[in-house]
Amino acid sequence: MVLEATMICIDNSEWMRNGDYSPSRFQAQADAVNLICGAKTQSNPENTVGVLTMAGKGVRVLVTPTSDLGKILACMHGLEIGGDMNLAAGIQVAQLALKHRQNKKQQQRIIVFAGSPVKHEKKVLEMIGRKLKKNSVALDIVNFGEEDEGKTEKLEALLAAVNNNDTSHIVHVPAGPNALSDVLISTPIFTGDGEGGSGFAAAAAAAAAGGVSGFEFGVDPNLDPELALALRVSMEEERARQEAAAKKAAEEASKQEKGGEQQASSQDATMTERASASASEAETKTSDMMDDENALLQQALAMSMDDPAINQEAKDTDMSEAASDDPELALALQMSVSDSSKDSSSQSDMSKLLADQSFVSSILASLPGVDTNDPSVKDLMASMQNQSEQKDDDKKPPSEEEKK
Amino acid sequence: MACLHDHSCEDHDCSTDWSLYKHIDLSKVSALNEARPGSVKSVFKAWEERLNSSGEHLESNEGDPELLVFIPFTSDVKIKSISIIGGADGTSPSKMRAFINRDGIDFSDAQSMQAIQEWELAENTQGVLEYQTRYSKFQSVGNITLHFPDNFGADTSKIHYIGLKGEATQLKRDVVATIVYEVMPNPSDHKTRAESGGVSHVE
Repeated sequence: MVLEATMICIDNSEWMRNGDYSPSRFQAQADAVNLICGAKTQSNPENTVGVLTMAGKGVRVLVTPTSDLGKILACMHGLEIGGDMNLAAGIQVAQLALKHRQNKKQQQRIIVFAGSPVKHEKKVLEMIGRKLKKNSVALDIVNFGEEDEGKTEKLEALLAAVNNNDTSHIVHVPAGPNALSDVLISTPIFTGDGEGGSGFAAAAAAAAAGGVSGFEFGVDPNLDPELALALRVSMEEERARQEAAAKKAAEEASKQEKGGEQQASSQDATMTERASASASEAETKTSDMMDDENALLQQALAMSMDDPAINQEAKDTDMSEAASDDPELALALQMSVSDSSKDSSSQSDMSKLLADQSFVSSILASLPGVDTNDPSVKDLMASMQNQSEQKDDDKKPPSEEEKK
Repeated sequence: MACLHDHSCEDHDCSTDWSLYKHIDLSKVSALNEARPGSVKSVFKAWEERLNSSGEHLESNEGDPELLVFIPFTSDVKIKSISIIGGADGTSPSKMRAFINRDGIDFSDAQSMQAIQEWELAENTQGVLEYQTRYSKFQSVGNITLHFPDNFGADTSKIHYIGLKGEATQLKRDVVATIVYEVMPNPSDHKTRAESGGVSHVE
């Protein structure tokens, strides 16, 4: 937001008819001038910009430093190409125009478009540069167009004479597919020493460059927030799913050697699913979580009954991996581990108790909503006698269902 | 620490005389052709520190001994005399020209304009010399611009201290009061005497 008065020196010599910059060198220059004027006035409303031409019949000031953008754009129309560029006179007239600016508090800056060969001696340019530095005028040089021998060297010498604390810059723009204004947007001429026009530059870059934009997913959140949000959510879901799949594959590969640990891997998969589901906070996953919890519960109980020792170790490692990113999950898993350890130790007692049918029937009778004469319950009681291993599984899910 | 007054310095403290530096608006002080932007602010300090050259000083660019210093004040001051401490080995300025109450002077203006007063300076590294002003011309100074066109032969000019002696008047030169700009006229803001209950006759 530095307060600045700028004079732009345009090269309208015969060399500007060339078409190596699209559509022509002069038109590319005019576009760049328009962009610069916009950027300067936008970065600080009190900035002023003036324009002068260096070729033609002689150096001519088209508009003195003003903040009226319309005036500046209007004077760019109807400019004639012809003659020879007079760089030294152009810079000196620009310096004079800046000296008589209305607001003396503004910093002085000259932007020169040097498209044709420079016919002045290096010494003359250095003297001009020193005079500019003495009066604290900054100078930006845009070197484009003709690649004359010694031109680059002379312009670099001019810059070195003017430069005071990196306030002056030079940009070399070779002919190519990119437009002159696009190349200039990313240079310090636009961004103004790191602050100021960067917001304008970003917006202009997004508009001018078309498909290539700096925004995520190629969609501007300002223009289409819902689309941007939908894209982001789907990206995260895909990432979570891929993580779960990758983890499952890794787990399966590592657990092959332990043998018979299908339940462990699937349990781990469900656990990671739960972890990722809680992380992504998608509403559609809440129902999945309910099913996962039931399956998880079954798996945990089955494992606790199979072989307490080995399964517990596997469970510990799986759980620590899965719960690394969710402390609450870790706490819950720890509690379930301690519960299952207790269960496994007292498993033998429990099985004996449950084998006692009378005990079971009395329990069932005390449960609300359970009718002991219900045929399904009777079948259940019968099946319990046969299947001692899976009695907990069958009892708990049906009882849960009946409670519901 | 010899002074040029008729009395000796043990009686009083010279520093109170050279206290105009307190009335300088340091944020708006600027200089042209200084090698390090902002170094001009370091030359305005208290009288006791004038010989302290450990801090920064004002130096001109290589090969160009001209310096232009713009000093605005927070209120109008009367300047009685000026003291300049330059550098050694010919870097001291040899001439000084002053301009009063003019904004935005640059080198071409300074060279062409008539100064309000000019002085020939001597090499004054101990700060014992002061240059008196034509007091009647320096009665209400809002800002002063000092132009040093030349030095004693070195490549650059160095100034370690600029001291100003005088008094501050506590008056401000052109204070712009808070002005309310109206985009559209609002009659309620402009009550005429008839509306507010005054009596006016038309004869």
